[in-house]
Amino acid sequence: MQHRLPGVLVAVLGFLAWALPLSAHHSFAAEFDANKCMDLTGTFTSFEWQNPHGYFHLDVKDPSGNVTLWTFETVSLSTLKRSGTQRKDFADNVGKTVTVRACLAKNGEKNRAAAETIKFPDGQVHRIGQDVEGKFSDNAKEY
Amino acid sequence: MKRLFGEFWLSGAAALTLFLFAAALPALAQEAQEGKATQHGATQAKTQAVPKGGPAPRTADGHPDLSGVWFPGTAGGFTFNPALRRQFDPKVTPEEPPPFQPWAAVKIKAMTSTDYELGRASVNCLPRGVPGMFMIDPYPFQLVQTPGLFIQLDELNNNWRVVHTDGRPHSEEPDPSFDGDEVGHWDGDTLVIDVIGIDERTWNNFTGWFHSDEEHVIERISRPSMNYLVYQVTIEDPKVLTKPWTSAPRVWTLGHEDLLEYYCTNNQDVEQYKALKAKESGGDSKK
Repeated sequence: MQHRLPGVLVAVLGFLAWALPLSAHHSFAAEFDANKCMDLTGTFTSFEWQNPHGYFHLDVKDPSGNVTLWTFETVSLSTLKRSGTQRKDFADNVGKTVTVRACLAKNGEKNRAAAETIKFPDGQVHRIGQDVEGKFSDNAKEY
Repeated sequence: MKRLFGEFWLSGAAALTLFLFAAALPALAQEAQEGKATQHGATQAKTQAVPKGGPAPRTADGHPDLSGVWFPGTAGGFTFNPALRRQFDPKVTPEEPPPFQPWAAVKIKAMTSTDYELGRASVNCLPRGVPGMFMIDPYPFQLVQTPGLFIQLDELNNNWRVVHTDGRPHSEEPDPSFDGDEVGHWDGDTLVIDVIGIDERTWNNFTGWFHSDEEHVIERISRPSMNYLVYQVTIEDPKVLTKPWTSAPRVWTLGHEDLLEYYCTNNQDVEQYKALKAKESGGDSKK
């Protein structure tokens, strides 16, 4: 059974947690900056379905029309699958427009960010990364 | 048969191959009772703690049967809820901080959060070892118990270990290894695993608890009821600690889904952290 979250439910889940198993491999807070988070809309071009983190890429067009390729990191495949995001969710949306909530890498690398959520064209919002901003819960530093 | 069963090549006095069919039967039966249709672990997040579930099963030789797929915390599966992920209540069973020797405390205190990340074995996809397989592993593992053997199959990194539980002594001068030289015996209904010779690349927590070649780990594992597993570890390390440290008893709960494949193949974080460390070397050492 899929575990797809409409936007309202995401808000409700804001009172729930998002820490240990979701970010099991390391501390996202150490790698990504909670003060540099944003919504990015673009074309979902490709993805790497792998552990310990998945990655995907968006072509994002800025106001002047320039297109930039972004790379986003997700939690592990185990966490994605158990929290309701399957490979098919990524594969079926290649070439389509999505919106990602993401936080920039602290090391200053451009166009690289940790994804928190992704909104697919059907309106479904999936939580695919750790809650770097602490919107959903306190952030478990140790993971 | 809809489920897949792993085949693992195990080294011991003689190499042998074990099929995990028998161990998976209880999980299959319970899954059927609940009428769930999971596929290789894909499921929904759990929202409630599982009940105790009656007495623990026992093997033919009378010991509690530790076999099963175990998830950290009380949810019996993946959950968003931090209360369900918690493995012990520090108000009920407080846990002292590790009693580091002064030089070790200074070394750890000097670490930044980036150092924490770069110092972990796992940042390079290396094993977490013992006791990390229990203490710093938020993913499920499967335990398989046979007369004389304790087998732990970790989802994380597809790591596994096999421990003889017949009370045999340690090897003489074992080479360092991630899981160490480990021997087990039963103390009543508790399985005790004694471990030495642990590779110094492993840490005992996520925040810099390194160890020496003299580390000695004593693990105590029990199954007080059908759905609960309890783990407690004592760590001795005369080169790093001032006295032995014993953890709070930590709980895992029985899941009803397969482990997933989790080979750590490409952790791009290590390059990210190296770049961050280089940036921080200018003076920013935010903890």
